[in-house]
Amino acid sequence: MSIWDKIGRLDRRWIYLLVAIAVVLPLIVPASFRVYVGPEAQQLFDAVEALPDSSVVLLTFDYYPSTLAETEPMSVAALHHLFRKNCKVLTLTTVPLGGPSIAERVTRKMAKKYNKMYGTDYVNLGFKANYVAVLKGLGSSVESIYPTDNSGTPLAELPMMADIQNYGDVDFIFVVSDNGIVENWISIVNAQYGTPIGAGVAAVMAPKFYAFIASGQMTGLLGGMKGAAEYEILVGEEDMALKGMAMQSLVHLLIIGLVILGNVGFFLGRKKEEGI
Amino acid sequence: MVASGLFEVWIGAFFTLAIFSFLYKDNPFYKFAEHIFAGLSAGYYIGLIWKSVIIQQLWIPITNKGEWSLIIPGLLGMLMFARFFRKFSYISRISLAFVMGNTAGIFLVSQLHGLVLPQTQSTMLSLTGDGFVETLFALIVVIGVVSTLIYFYFSKEHTGVLGVTAKVGIWFIMISFGAHFGFTVMGRISLLIGRVYFLYNDWILGTLAMFD
Amino acid sequence: MRSVLPIIVAFLSGFIMIASFFFNADRSFLGKLEEDLLTWVTIVGGFTLLLGVVSITRVNFNAVKQKKEDWFYKLLTLIAIYVMAVPAILPSSWSPLFGDEAGSIYDWLFTYVDTPMMGTMFAMLAFYIASAAYRAFRARNPEATLLLMTATLVMLWRIPMGEAFLREISIHLPDYINTFIMKGATMAVQRGIIIGAALGGASMSLRILLGIERTYMGKG
Repeated sequence: MSIWDKIGRLDRRWIYLLVAIAVVLPLIVPASFRVYVGPEAQQLFDAVEALPDSSVVLLTFDYYPSTLAETEPMSVAALHHLFRKNCKVLTLTTVPLGGPSIAERVTRKMAKKYNKMYGTDYVNLGFKANYVAVLKGLGSSVESIYPTDNSGTPLAELPMMADIQNYGDVDFIFVVSDNGIVENWISIVNAQYGTPIGAGVAAVMAPKFYAFIASGQMTGLLGGMKGAAEYEILVGEEDMALKGMAMQSLVHLLIIGLVILGNVGFFLGRKKEEGI
Repeated sequence: MVASGLFEVWIGAFFTLAIFSFLYKDNPFYKFAEHIFAGLSAGYYIGLIWKSVIIQQLWIPITNKGEWSLIIPGLLGMLMFARFFRKFSYISRISLAFVMGNTAGIFLVSQLHGLVLPQTQSTMLSLTGDGFVETLFALIVVIGVVSTLIYFYFSKEHTGVLGVTAKVGIWFIMISFGAHFGFTVMGRISLLIGRVYFLYNDWILGTLAMFD
Repeated sequence: MRSVLPIIVAFLSGFIMIASFFFNADRSFLGKLEEDLLTWVTIVGGFTLLLGVVSITRVNFNAVKQKKEDWFYKLLTLIAIYVMAVPAILPSSWSPLFGDEAGSIYDWLFTYVDTPMMGTMFAMLAFYIASAAYRAFRARNPEATLLLMTATLVMLWRIPMGEAFLREISIHLPDYINTFIMKGATMAVQRGIIIGAALGGASMSLRILLGIERTYMGKG
């Protein structure tokens, strides 16, 4: 058996081990690389930056706990930006499994950091089922869909909600998502109510949204951990995403190397077969 | 990313490693974690719906504001459970039809008004643009959109002009799938980084810090 | 009657949504009706989420009762469901362990047990994608070669080390990748797919409203 045959029949667990080493190594030997900010992230940052102080921004936590590593840094970076600008932050989630718990934990932590008061500076609406109806219903009346906030306080008792009846009172929507809901935010909310939307999405779905940037239906896009790292740079808060980029580099290079190795083996094997 | 006391960190680390153990082969630790995971996730829904629907959307508006009309959706919701009784399962269709019809009504408008029209409009690019790069870019977009649409058009056999265009569509689609793969790799690695960071930083370093 | 009534309900429920869009129904009777219906749908939609929980309970309960293979694990699932759910339903005024606020059993189990497991389940995909890239990503023909080359370029472009390398070749290379691969070819294909899928979604919606599509009702 030639070396190429052996490489071709490599047990998958050796590959798993290589991936594990490539992720762990930058943790033990820290390294940092310059991350360049792309035009899509810059566009989103500029749109938020251009909002007048005290603008109302709807920040969504439309992601499951499974993708926390790439989506939570986006929410955290967005909250840095929004709270610094004294925006009134309204949060909600359309994700049933974990969405409300994540939204509550992240907003409370960030609000504490910026001394923001619940009910005056930010409100967490929580979850309601059937996202298509929720998105459409918020266009008529927030209170009809969400009679109370996440913890059961009637909206009428929250000072910030006195001036927020529907999308007409929201200046910007910052969607952070790991699923197809973003398309509905665009096709229902942006198209019918005109509220500008920017989004941070899981890397897997990011390529799709270039079409909405080009059509002007979306104002800015963060794609995966790189997008989160770009926003962290823009708001000047180096955090989890930027730390993760060193590990990303090494594993990406490993995968590129594996692809090359696999193909070299494939071509040499084919050449040998043709020779026979 | 979500870490608190050391006990909680050890619990999280145990379940993380139990799930990862599947990479070697299926084993009792993995099965244990997997079944606990399924149960907790299902239990989460009960707590969530109890609070966000039954208490917040039904109980509070009915008792505080006297919105008695909300009994109707409450009953429609209960009717859903008729599915579990063979003799009465057809009753659940009414609730299901109500939800499906409503969603279809919203979708019919949003798909055409919010997706088809703006996306089509945005493809109407000038092919005699300001310069070479702009014209090249416009050509890529127009040819890419048209050839992709034709590739997915199966009502006519892909021969002749249609076949050539569909072939061009495949080339565009391959580029797009390649880009998708590149992004997907980053997405999957991000999730692994999250867990490895937790194990290294919170669990190993956190535990070692106890002995300092 | 078993099918006719649901079809009428589906038609009316959807028709009101379409009519209120065209007639800009704010503040009118139609607008109020639309608002109420949307609220109702979110409530009924909540109950649909519970259907899955009832199903998982039934399946696991039967397996435990009949002592089927792995019944012990299924018992664990059953216990986990109700260890999570029961304290969440009990009012937090009785004990801080009840309800769903921070510090409750519900929140603790979700944050420290469920979340790590869910994250890990998906993290395993990183290993599988690496293995798949090694085994299946072959330049067998021109199309596959194009896919492979694009994937490699995009992977390099997305990481700091790779972008620095591309900039060494040409300072404009990362911008060209963004402009021609992402905003150009990829965007064009995605747009084609979006338009096609949206047309499909719209026609399926119309079929549901007109009662032509009835598979959602199930058998019987």
